[in-house]
Formats: sequence, structure tokens, C-alpha cells
Amino acid sequence: MNISPEIWTWLSALLTLFIFSFLYGDNPLYRFAEHLYVGVSVGYTIAITWHNFFYPDLIVPLFKEGKVIYIIPLLLGVLYLSIFFPKVSWLMRIPMGFVLGYGSGVAIPAILQANVIKQIQGSLLTPAILQRTDLLLWGIISLIGVISTIIYFFFSWEQRGAIKSIAGLGIIFLMVGFGASFGYTVMARVSLLLGRVQFLLRDWLGVIR
Amino acid sequence: MNFWERIGKIDRRFIFLVMAVAIILPLIRPLGLVGRVGKRTQELFKAIDGLKEGSYLFISIDFDPQSMPELYPMYLSILRHAFSRNLRVIVSGLWITGVGLGEEGLKTVAPEYNKTYGKDYVFLGWKPGITAVVLGIGRSMKETFPTDYYGTPYDSLPIFQGDITYKDIPFMISLSAGLPGYETWIAYAQTRFGIRVGAGVTAVSAADAYPYLSTGQLTGLLGGMKAAAEYEFLIEKAGMTSAFKPASQLMDSQSLAHLIIIILVLIGNISYFALRRKR
Repeated sequence: MNISPEIWTWLSALLTLFIFSFLYGDNPLYRFAEHLYVGVSVGYTIAITWHNFFYPDLIVPLFKEGKVIYIIPLLLGVLYLSIFFPKVSWLMRIPMGFVLGYGSGVAIPAILQANVIKQIQGSLLTPAILQRTDLLLWGIISLIGVISTIIYFFFSWEQRGAIKSIAGLGIIFLMVGFGASFGYTVMARVSLLLGRVQFLLRDWLGVIR
Repeated sequence: MNFWERIGKIDRRFIFLVMAVAIILPLIRPLGLVGRVGKRTQELFKAIDGLKEGSYLFISIDFDPQSMPELYPMYLSILRHAFSRNLRVIVSGLWITGVGLGEEGLKTVAPEYNKTYGKDYVFLGWKPGITAVVLGIGRSMKETFPTDYYGTPYDSLPIFQGDITYKDIPFMISLSAGLPGYETWIAYAQTRFGIRVGAGVTAVSAADAYPYLSTGQLTGLLGGMKAAAEYEFLIEKAGMTSAFKPASQLMDSQSLAHLIIIILVLIGNISYFALRRKR
């Protein structure tokens, strides 16, 4: 056993135990750690924003290098604060409109290309897939899965007869997908717990090496 | 009250206790369970291993301390791999709360390989704007990051020989705990500029990443702590490091915890059906 002499390790370990105490029940130590976390996160975010972005990318070019064009983003940013003054709060729509317009213009073609067109291409049985038995098998399963799942979510027809059977197959594919996601979720949550336990036993208490 | 009724009303704190014992015991006395390296982990390893010496490797830290146990070991292993292959490493990120982790990883690994800041690797920190940042690198790294994280002007960093774009970066990795993350890099950098993208993701989002592998939009994937352990194994086997392997140390506990959860799910289901039949 080789207990850490570092004050920050002790602080971190104690805060971890405070959070874990919620497993037994809600208590003041848990709430203290929770509030501290929120406060520190906000403070950290403000500090990084100032040092990594606001100062070098706005204050320096505008006020030290005299690049007056930077007055435009500054004004747009300041207009966001109009939300605190009801009489002029409508001004906030200007930067909001700019952000929405830019965001939509940039996102729609990119997302369509990456998440729709490419995925449709990936579902097709191309000549390269036809040449290998293993790829062909997975390609066919994937194609059946895509079509049957889409048919399950097609609500313009009443699901009867063949459509009902295909939609039923779609449900099976969905359930397999949910099962895989749940398995991965369990793994993720256990991993997070393990990370903290490793910190407590190794970095704090020195029980393991 | 019969056995199944008792099982159904068991105090949840008892389950927490069983789980705690199951994960602590293998840490103190390892079981030596053997795993195997997955295909997707090997693909990512090969993608980095195949880069020419001196090539740029861009790593995006798109996670925060909450996902540290899964993604930070991946980050350390990828850095060790990159430095041992003498790649030039550029680290940035789309998550403001990942800045500290990005810097800490470089400070931990770079001295192990005697790498010099500014020449062999650089830390660009974080910028707001997400899509503007990702698209901006495609036009000009210098305009997007006029300075590094410490305020050093772009032109004073010898790692950059002139202004670079995605054309100069043969491979990038997003270590991603959600959005913005690998999907952002795929949509705006891979699709638009053609850069090859690899990803390390939390296990929660691993299933969502698989469709991007089959389309070739992703080159290699590390899914969760298991994949982090696999990558640690690969770089150690290749003689690139002998450093402590945080993810590998936890694999026995992870396996035992999974076994207990499977048993609990089975018991829960049997109990449910047994009680339903009784009613």
C-alpha cells in the first residue's frame, strides 16, 4: 500500500467518494460535489473561451492590430445580450438569423451527402461485393435489413399481408440493433466505473500497480 | 414469499455491493483472461502504421473528463504509436472541456520519445464554431489557428512548413464521446475534402459508427475500453512502448462485471416470468 501524498489526488478521491455515496442514497456530500462540478465546469469554460478564443481572435485583431472588420462579429455577439432588455430583445433575431442561415446552408448538403447518399451507396450490392462470398452474404443481410426496417416505418399503407411480414422482419432487425446498443451501453457504464475504481486503488491508495 | 418473490424484491444496494466486489477483486488479483484483437482495431493500427515518417497525424479531442476511462487510454496509445513512427502530431479538439486532456496527454507521452514541442508536435487547443473550424482547416490551417494554444504565432512553429490544409494531412482521428465528434469530421472534412478519418468512440456510440465503416467513410474504429486495451496490446507487441497500460489492467474486471450483468438479466427475466405465471 502506497498512499498518495498529493493533495489534488486526495481532493479528487474524496469528491469521487462523495458522488459514489449517492448509490446509498441522496445526501449533502453528494449534492456538494454535484454543485461544485457544475460551478467548476462553467468557470473552466469561461476561462478557456477567453484565453483560447475571445482574446486572441477578437480583442487582439480589433483593438491591437486595428482590423475594424472584426467590429461586425463583435456587434452580432453583443446583440445576443439584448435578450436581457425586453424592449429591444427583438434585436437578438439578427445574430440568430445569421447563425441559422449559415448553419442550415452548411449542414444540409454535407449531412445529406454523408448520412444519406453515402449510406444508400453502402447498402447497394456493388460488383466488388459480388466477388467475395463473405461480403456478399453481409451485403444481402444488410440490404434486407435496410429495406424491411424502412418498410416498418412506412405508415402510408396499412400493414397487412406481405407488408406486415416484411415489417415484422424489420422489427427483428431493430431489436438486434437495440440489443447491440444496450450491450455497448452496459460496457460503457462499467468502463466509467472501472476508471474511477482504478484511480482510487492505484493513484490514491496505491493498492495496485 | 417464495424464492423468486424474494429475488424480485432484493435491495439494489446489494447488487451494487456484488458488482463492487466483482470489479475490485480482479484488480488486486488478476485472472489473466485472454482477449483477441478485433478487425477494426487492426485497421486503425495499420492506417497509422502505414503513414510515411514525417507525415502529419491530426488528432481531435472530442471528449471530456466524463469519458476519460474509455478514450484517454486510446489517446495515449495513439500518441505513442505516432511518436514511435516519427509522425508529426497536431492535436486540437471540438470540445472545450477536452482541452486539458489534450494537453495532459502530450505532456505525458512526448518526453517518453524525446519529442520537441513545436517541431514534432503541436497543441492548437479549441476554437468555437465547430463546422467553421472543420471547414476552415480545409481552406487554411493558418487562418483557422493563427496561434497555437499557448499563443505562439503559426509561422513561428517549425512543424508547419507553410500554410497547410487537409491535402497535407494523410490521416486524422477523432476521439469522440458524442456530437460534435467523428460524425462532424466525416460530414465536413471527409466528405468535402476527402481526408481519411479514423475514430475512437465510447462504447455507447460504437454501434452507431459501424455504418460509416462499411461505406469506407471511416478507416478503423476503436469502440470503448476493450478496443483501447487491444490498441495497447498492439503497440506493446510492436515494441513501441513498455508504459503502463490502463485499459488492459481493467479488462478482467470488465469481463467479470459483464458476466454478473448477464446472470442478473437472466435471473430478472426468470423471476418476472415465474411471478407472472403465479398471478
